Amino acid sequence: MHRYKFVLYRPLQFLPVLFGISLITFILVRLIPGDPARVLLGTRSTPSAIAAIRAQYGLDQPIWLQYFYFLQNLAQGEMGKSILYKIDVLRLIATRIEPTLALVLSAVLLSLVIAVPLASLAARSNGGPADHIVRFVSTFGIGFPPFWLALMLIIFFSVRLDLFPVSGYGETVADKLYHLILPALTIALSLSTVLIRSLRTAMIAELKGDLATAARARGMPESIVFWRHVMPNSLVPTINLLAVNIGWLIGGTVVVESVFALPGMGQLLVRAIFSRDYMVVQGVAMVFACATVLVNFIADIVTVAIDPRVKQ
Amino acid sequence: MTAALAPAWKAVRRRPTLLAGLILLAIFLFVALMAPVIAPYDPILQNGDLRLQPPSWSHPFGTDNFGRDIFSRVIWGTRVDLQIAVIGVVFPFLIGTVVGTLAGYLGGKVDIVFMRVIDIILAFPFLVLMLSIIAILGPGLQSFYIAMALVGWVSYARLIRAQMLVLKTADYATAALSLGFSGPRIMFRHLLPNAIAGSVVFSMSDCVLVLLSGAAISYLGLGVQPPVAEWGVMVAEGQSFITTAWWITLFPGLSIVTLAFGFSLTGDGLGDLLGVRE
Amino acid sequence: MSETLLSVRNLSVVFAGEDGPRTLIDDLSFDLGKGEILGLVGESGSGKSLTCRSLVRLMPSPNLTIASGSVMLDGRDLTKAPDSDIRAVRGRDIGMIFQNPTSHLDPLMRIGDQIAEGIRIHRGVDGKAARAAALDILAQVGFPHPARQYNGYPHEFSGGMRQRAMIGVALSCDPRILIADEPTTALDVTIQAQILRLLMDLRESRGLSVILITHDLGIVAQTCDRIAVLRQGRLLEIGDKRDVLGRPQHPYTRNLIASHPSMPERQAAFVPAREPAIPKARPLVEIDDLHVRFPVTGRSLFSGGPREFSAVKGVSLQVMPGETVGIVGESGSGKSTLARALLGLTPISEGHVAFDGADIVTERAKALRKLRREAAMVFQDPYNALNPRLTIGAMLAEVLAVQESVPKERIPARIGELLDLVGLEREFAGRKPLSMSGGQCQRAGIARALAVNPKLIVADECVAALDVTIQAQIVDLFRDLKQRLNLTLLFIAHDLAIVRNLCERVVVMYHGEIVEEGPTDKVFAAPREAYTQALIGAIPDIDPDRPLLSPRGGDDFVEETSGLVTGEA
Repeated sequence: MHRYKFVLYRPLQFLPVLFGISLITFILVRLIPGDPARVLLGTRSTPSAIAAIRAQYGLDQPIWLQYFYFLQNLAQGEMGKSILYKIDVLRLIATRIEPTLALVLSAVLLSLVIAVPLASLAARSNGGPADHIVRFVSTFGIGFPPFWLALMLIIFFSVRLDLFPVSGYGETVADKLYHLILPALTIALSLSTVLIRSLRTAMIAELKGDLATAARARGMPESIVFWRHVMPNSLVPTINLLAVNIGWLIGGTVVVESVFALPGMGQLLVRAIFSRDYMVVQGVAMVFACATVLVNFIADIVTVAIDPRVKQ
Repeated sequence: MTAALAPAWKAVRRRPTLLAGLILLAIFLFVALMAPVIAPYDPILQNGDLRLQPPSWSHPFGTDNFGRDIFSRVIWGTRVDLQIAVIGVVFPFLIGTVVGTLAGYLGGKVDIVFMRVIDIILAFPFLVLMLSIIAILGPGLQSFYIAMALVGWVSYARLIRAQMLVLKTADYATAALSLGFSGPRIMFRHLLPNAIAGSVVFSMSDCVLVLLSGAAISYLGLGVQPPVAEWGVMVAEGQSFITTAWWITLFPGLSIVTLAFGFSLTGDGLGDLLGVRE
Repeated sequence: MSETLLSVRNLSVVFAGEDGPRTLIDDLSFDLGKGEILGLVGESGSGKSLTCRSLVRLMPSPNLTIASGSVMLDGRDLTKAPDSDIRAVRGRDIGMIFQNPTSHLDPLMRIGDQIAEGIRIHRGVDGKAARAAALDILAQVGFPHPARQYNGYPHEFSGGMRQRAMIGVALSCDPRILIADEPTTALDVTIQAQILRLLMDLRESRGLSVILITHDLGIVAQTCDRIAVLRQGRLLEIGDKRDVLGRPQHPYTRNLIASHPSMPERQAAFVPAREPAIPKARPLVEIDDLHVRFPVTGRSLFSGGPREFSAVKGVSLQVMPGETVGIVGESGSGKSTLARALLGLTPISEGHVAFDGADIVTERAKALRKLRREAAMVFQDPYNALNPRLTIGAMLAEVLAVQESVPKERIPARIGELLDLVGLEREFAGRKPLSMSGGQCQRAGIARALAVNPKLIVADECVAALDVTIQAQIVDLFRDLKQRLNLTLLFIAHDLAIVRNLCERVVVMYHGEIVEEGPTDKVFAAPREAYTQALIGAIPDIDPDRPLLSPRGGDDFVEETSGLVTGEA
């Protein structure tokens, strides 16, 4: 069972990365020209507020000490207040996690539902008409800008067919899922093009590879060759690809949430940038980064569960 | 010169994917260069009499809410978007290649430091980091290029580094070392040319990525600023009219898709030509 | 020959290439008897693997088709049988094993399950019975602890055990015929002997008929009943092994036999070189108690274990100018590390290495300067050893320019001389490695080594990747160059027969240490150490009456039977 030993110490390896994330988010805000206290407080900068924030973040101290105060505040779950919403940044973000998380999860599931059958179909008819069609569609689809694809889906499904809502998020679970269908479909369509290409390549390599040859040489039917040997061996690189693409996926949600006015973290980030709400920008960037690290950790566990060769 | 190009042309001709991709890119380049000649109308000048006209013979792509000809704006937009894709890739490519070569070949502390930096940058979702940097530098194309150069090099560095790690154990690298060749000579003359094919192919799909990101950032209002004709901006401007004037959003989006398709096809073709597997 | 089981008649296989069809297998006919081992011998490109794939229509590419001929098994023509029938034949009647067990076994599946899978599907039994049968097969193919090893994954086993597992997978369907495609090429010589022994045992115990594909006439001589010699898709001759080896009919077969390193003629060609120059000459290479250790990478934080791996442990060796010394050992013996350390390419952990009087440790700069100008290396994989983007001429020109050994204007002339020296036409200056054969690339690699005017050449397994006839040519080239240029040669190889032909002195390495050294004829005639004896005994001799000694059991240096190489690094 030593295979899973890394679950214990892998988080230790993430420490330098987490440290780096905090350093970058810290530097980002300090790079803004002007008095940091005024920058952080925006238009609300009364002399007393400025003095308070100076004290809290040690803004008149040397920069390395400021970073130390920043970490100290962070350790206490204190990331400052939003100028726009006038509440704690972390509390604000907490209210925005659900839509984003639901969107990412449903998009990943949907993209797998689209990609796995299509990639299998293409790989098994390698060179045939089905393969050509799938390849053409995935190559073409990779260039669809998510924001534009979202609008096209709205024109078709919401305006023409009146099937789905144009924007917003619901109250009940069913209502929320209903509102998530088009946004999730937008991201899933984009993501599945990447997945199809990668899966198809991996499957074709496996189908032509030594492993499949050996299985056929002992008379295994093509279905066993494919499902027992080719499929698991092709999924390993695809899981890694998904993990690598999680950052890209989150980028997609930022845009798509803005198009559909979904009250998630992405929409929050864009609004914060426009209203110069830097504390929120800093907080959202940091939470997104930590989420990415977490996803990679989960991908590691899944990979180890599938592939006994990996043991780190 | 023509003699040197002959085998290259032969290789291209035998690959319809590559040929189609290159032709598409050539068309876009031509349109971008000749925009002032081809575009029938001024892309910025507003005309209150021609608001929200559907596509017609005089305005093949229709007009927007300011009465501007969409067709002309799409043509002028080619200049901006092609530039986004190319400049947004060139600098990351150069930086990443140098960093990857050094980190992979030298190994040791240099490698550890660069790999840590790369890990940290990769921990941030690409678009989130881009937006955060742009938030600080202020909206605009220049900020976008700076952010690209700061963030985009990591993919190239990783690709080249991985190749270098394999190639530096190749026997011809050992041979070069045993013959007293200098480090830079081995790195840049012997190993890099053999390591770079993967990056060249990737740079084509990266062009797609950068084009989509640049357009997305402009769509969000943080990149190219109106009234400049840029496809992402145009989509954003058309969004309020999707129920009534779909043509304002449709055509700039299709242009992005087509240009991206050109890059994708070229990338696939190059991958086939250079023997690079994804 | 016993009763015929499989009969191949006028088989032709055609490749539909871009420049028109090419015949890769041309009108091939042979029979396989019951319980017989038939050796299919040929060099690369002879079509021996493709022939066997064609028997069960397992074509490596859709562009390959059986154009004509028949493959008769039990009165059925396999070339015309429907797909479902042929699938029933594969595995059930004709099983296959391959050269590289690592890529042919499923890395994600326990080896026991891989064997059980075939049993379930071909015999239609339930999981429990399949498991029991799989355990039985594991024991048959030589797994000492089947119950425990059933659950191992392929990567947890050594190369030899993986090959045993693959044989087990092939046996799972209980075939009558086993096709073994170069089953031992990737293995060390002592392990090779064990696997060959296993195949022969299985033939006895199960009455298997075996088609053994190999490039090594020695293996055929030791294990087969009959031999078929293939070249460029044609069958040159076929017959009882004693007839073919003793009275070869075809000139190519004669050449193939003459090229085999264990042939007496090739050994006779070894001229004991001049007495080691002047008796009190200074050694060119002096190695004193050399240790090379590498940090163990990928070691987890909690698993403990050694931090370092010792590749070379306390080796001392002297090489006199003009000497030819062979270093032999199996994979992991540290022979290549030793070579790299003495050329200053790998850091030395402890001890001293001096080249021509300059100590690499204490006078590093001076020694390296000397080494770079007076020593050169020749490598195993001729394609990997040359930069694929440079023409041979450009490569040599660069060496000459960097070394400044000849004036600029003399470089083209010198390139011509070097090509002459290694027996390449001068037009090769304009060619790139990928357009050349392995032997030609190896000659170019030797030319590069000669470009520095070396005193010492270190050849690391430099003929291991080549066909036998080419091997013989390269060995001859070395012998010739050594005489003409007064070279000192350090020849590293796992193939003892080649070392025996070329070297005056031989050094045997095992696990980073020298276990035996001495004049070649003495070591081969009367090896002192058990390991050397086993190593020499395991070389397949081309003389069928000199039986293969399989070092089975008891010998502590053969870890093979210890089975599971545990997962802990």
